[in-house]
Amino acid sequence: MVNFADNTAPDSQAKAGGWWSDVWLGLWTTLVGMRITLKYFFKKPVTVQYPEERMPIPDRYRGIHYLEQEKCIYCFQCARACPVDCITMEAVRHGKELEWISFSVDYNRCMFCELCTYPCPKDCIHEGKEFALVTYDRKELIHDLLTYRGLSDEAKVRLAEAEKEKAAKEAAKAAKAAAAAKPAAAAKPASAPGAGDAAAPPAS
Amino acid sequence: MSASLALSLWLQSARLQQQTGAALGSTTAPDSNWTLDLLEWVRTSWLSTKLAGLAGMDQAPALPTWAAAAIGAGIAVGIVIGFVSVVAMFSIWLERRVAGRIQSRIGPNRVGPFGLLQSLADGVKLLLKEDIIPSGADRKLFVLAPALVMASALAMFAAVPMADGAGFTDINLGVLFIVGISALATIGVIMAGWSSNNKWALYGAMREAAQVVSYEVPLGISLLVPVIVGGTLELGAASRLQSGWGGSCWFLFQNPFVLPAFVLYFIAALAENKRAPFDLPESESELVAGFHTEYSGIRFSFFFLEEYAAMFLMSAVGTALFLGGWNFPGIDLLKGGWLIAAQLAVFVVKSMFLVLLMIWIRWTLPRMRVDQVMVMGYKYLTPLSLICVVGASVWEVWAAVPFHERPIWMQLFTPVLVFGVCAVLGAMLRKQAIESAAQPTTRSRIAPRAHAAAH
Amino acid sequence: MASSHPQTTSHSGGTAHSGSAAALPFRPAGSGEYDEDGNLKPKFGRPLAEGEREIVMDVRTQDMEMNMGPQHPSTHGVLRVLLRVDGEVVTQAVPYIGYIHRCAEKIGESVEWIQYLPYTDRYDYLAAMNNNLGYSMAVEKLLGVEIPQRAMYIRTICAELNRIGSHLIAFGTYGLDLGAFTPFFYSFREREWILSIFEKICGARLTYSFIRIGGVFNDAPPGWLEEVEAFCDDFEEKWKEYNDLLSDNLIFVRRTADIGVISKEDALAYGLTGPCLRGSGVKYDLRKDQPYELYSKLEFNVPVGEGKKGQLGDCWDRYDVRMQEMRESVRIIRQCLAGIQEGPVLAKLAAALKVPAGHAYVGIENPRGELGHFVISGGDKKAIRLRVRGPSFCNLSILPKMLPGTMLADSVALIGSIDIVLGEVDR
Repeated sequence: MVNFADNTAPDSQAKAGGWWSDVWLGLWTTLVGMRITLKYFFKKPVTVQYPEERMPIPDRYRGIHYLEQEKCIYCFQCARACPVDCITMEAVRHGKELEWISFSVDYNRCMFCELCTYPCPKDCIHEGKEFALVTYDRKELIHDLLTYRGLSDEAKVRLAEAEKEKAAKEAAKAAKAAAAAKPAAAAKPASAPGAGDAAAPPAS
Repeated sequence: MSASLALSLWLQSARLQQQTGAALGSTTAPDSNWTLDLLEWVRTSWLSTKLAGLAGMDQAPALPTWAAAAIGAGIAVGIVIGFVSVVAMFSIWLERRVAGRIQSRIGPNRVGPFGLLQSLADGVKLLLKEDIIPSGADRKLFVLAPALVMASALAMFAAVPMADGAGFTDINLGVLFIVGISALATIGVIMAGWSSNNKWALYGAMREAAQVVSYEVPLGISLLVPVIVGGTLELGAASRLQSGWGGSCWFLFQNPFVLPAFVLYFIAALAENKRAPFDLPESESELVAGFHTEYSGIRFSFFFLEEYAAMFLMSAVGTALFLGGWNFPGIDLLKGGWLIAAQLAVFVVKSMFLVLLMIWIRWTLPRMRVDQVMVMGYKYLTPLSLICVVGASVWEVWAAVPFHERPIWMQLFTPVLVFGVCAVLGAMLRKQAIESAAQPTTRSRIAPRAHAAAH
Repeated sequence: MASSHPQTTSHSGGTAHSGSAAALPFRPAGSGEYDEDGNLKPKFGRPLAEGEREIVMDVRTQDMEMNMGPQHPSTHGVLRVLLRVDGEVVTQAVPYIGYIHRCAEKIGESVEWIQYLPYTDRYDYLAAMNNNLGYSMAVEKLLGVEIPQRAMYIRTICAELNRIGSHLIAFGTYGLDLGAFTPFFYSFREREWILSIFEKICGARLTYSFIRIGGVFNDAPPGWLEEVEAFCDDFEEKWKEYNDLLSDNLIFVRRTADIGVISKEDALAYGLTGPCLRGSGVKYDLRKDQPYELYSKLEFNVPVGEGKKGQLGDCWDRYDVRMQEMRESVRIIRQCLAGIQEGPVLAKLAAALKVPAGHAYVGIENPRGELGHFVISGGDKKAIRLRVRGPSFCNLSILPKMLPGTMLADSVALIGSIDIVLGEVDR
């Protein structure tokens, strides 16, 4: 059995003045409320017409990432900082040059916490102002942040130069080594081809 | 049930035949049956004669009277449905726009100019939606309920006089008719709630039943006050009685007890129409959507339209009995069709003003609890409306003569009182606004910022 | 269970109404003997006198079971309350939770210290700054780092702004629960400004992850403090309107005053904290009673319920405590704005944070009550155990006690006045 008086207080009129005061207060507080709603009726709305007008997006907004690919050194700091492991990257190092294969963020998981941007030593991953992520397929939510793949033309030239230099150095080294090894080779001819093989792949 | 539907349709046909005939400015007497004229015109038209000639007849045969009347009723009902729909759709648009502005929003503004066609677009969308009937529902009642609700709104139109001489069916018990028919919607709501096989809907229906039963009492009693002042139950006649003072001698200004009665009527009408703060039957924060939880598509749109049509009708009754009906200062200067058009416009504008007031109140007040609604109906509105009836009667008996023969102070007393009350309330609200804004803030207590120089 | 069905007159203890049959709505057919007129024969054994007739008032009703939620407009999320209702009166209420349980505490044991920060945003998503602060303080207690002054000021400003934002939601949705739509939009209008202020300092609008172990992530951008002050000025004016519009409205007062009265003893016994406890008249606020951060230096009052409109500890008191707290928060923010100095905002910490072994509990005053974080560290990069004491969860526990005896509409008012966030209840 429920005692009705337990929670719904029986004297709900306890603090009220009385019958006439109720009538007056009901009317009066309604009028006061209507005064306020009327005031805003004549004020300019605060909302904006979204697709045409947009609210300003502050500089620090945490939206879809963008990557300054040239700066990135493939250090995995961002991927390590990510609580949900949504950053994956793949690249091939050519000495100092990087040949990018992929740098993707899985927006199925990403929660835009920006923890990935702070540890970056080169300050190259940022969260941008774009926020629209609507797609018809979840696969499309895995964004590739790379603006270009492989190597840039500049990098290729640089890499070619570096390789040329390296090859030249190797050649010089090999020549030196060959010069130094000549006396030894005479003594131990069997070991020379093995040493030559080990040195060959980086040069080729 | 079907009898009442048929009754309402017939009544409307009779009314509209007359109304439209007069509104079109025809010279025929208001009681001539224009739909029959129309049918006769079609019968004697060139095409009909040709077709009859093909059949070997001299002239197309006249329709039997019952068939002609039925076709006439059909046309009239079509017009009524059109008018009700337009009014309801406009009210919906008004509600949404006003709510938007009150809440610092814009409201619908995409479809048509100022979003006026939004309701139409919504209607089309609702029409195209899948018609869902819950598996456990009582199908017959479930289907019938929205129709019944809509029928009550349409039927109420039969007794609302919107312009003088435009030939309305001035039912001489118009007030009774309206009070009676307005309760018909309740049956539809209860049917909807019961047949939905949903506990929330059932709650909504039960609340509606209790609420309407309670508020019929103060509604009827407060409607008695203008009836006492005017001495008639006929809405058209009541409106005609308020045409003095160049169209500003409204019942509101004829007897000091009409103003409180009007306020009471308005509150009771809010409750009858399930409008906030009495929107318990569909209180969405408690009962999900109340009695129409399970309704969707076109059936839901019927409930929706009915709510706004009923709002307009209740406002129309309030206009006719309290606010002078079609009378407005200066309207007498017009003649003929212009007069009728102006009267229609005045009547609709006055009613829409009351609708606006209902909307304004809805977006201001919280909802009452079900027992509080009962308490308000029985303990507050009913005694107050009884006081009004007694007071109005005493005033009328004391005055003893028709309004225009009373002493001048007695004639002027009520208008002065009404405007005085409005002025005092306005002044008090202004004072309250100033006092509220003058409350201290924490700004003054804390020293200004020290870091300002840093930036 | 039926509470108020009329007793059968002139025969009591009839077999039809006793035992297991008591739960049935009607007297089962064939359970008694009927005379030729279809009237139930009396069970007394006394033959009825001429003209005397037994009246069986068989209006015994059956309680209805209502599932309020998990999809319901006013359960503030995915709370499900199984209500037994006798007409409009609730006779029994059992809350069911766990619909958005996301294993937040377990996640805390499997991610690094700093990586847990975004997860704290997500339990009480209306007061993410406070959650960040609570977690950071717990870890800082183990680390023993000293937080730069400016960081403390920014933290306090953000936490208090977030408190205002959270209470604005409580205010707005409470109005919505009671059928007043407009206060909801007004409160969201002001909250929108708070969100845009947060957006400017940290870039996020809801899940901030801004207050971190050792300070805050970013310093305030230029003009940010001025905007906070402008907000305070504007908000205090708007606050007056809220009171005029809703707090003093007679319908609102009648819907909330004397409803859901929680006595002091009950409030303490059920472990309520925050406005729910203070609404019952207990002056307990961790900012005053266990001052952390800057709160010992700041001047502010702790508003408590006074039973202004009804009994002490009713829904209106809890609502009013929140309203008053918003003003106190403005006061705190103004003092912070007056006192803030230039300086660093982040203590120097190792990139891969290793927290010394030990355990720490830090409770802070969330908008909803005491938010406690208990962390155990084994001296590693991850926590051994992380436990959260959520205020909403504890506050919710009083629901089954409060709801029976109220009306259906009151139950909505009551759930609203407790102001739960289901994200934090379920975690």
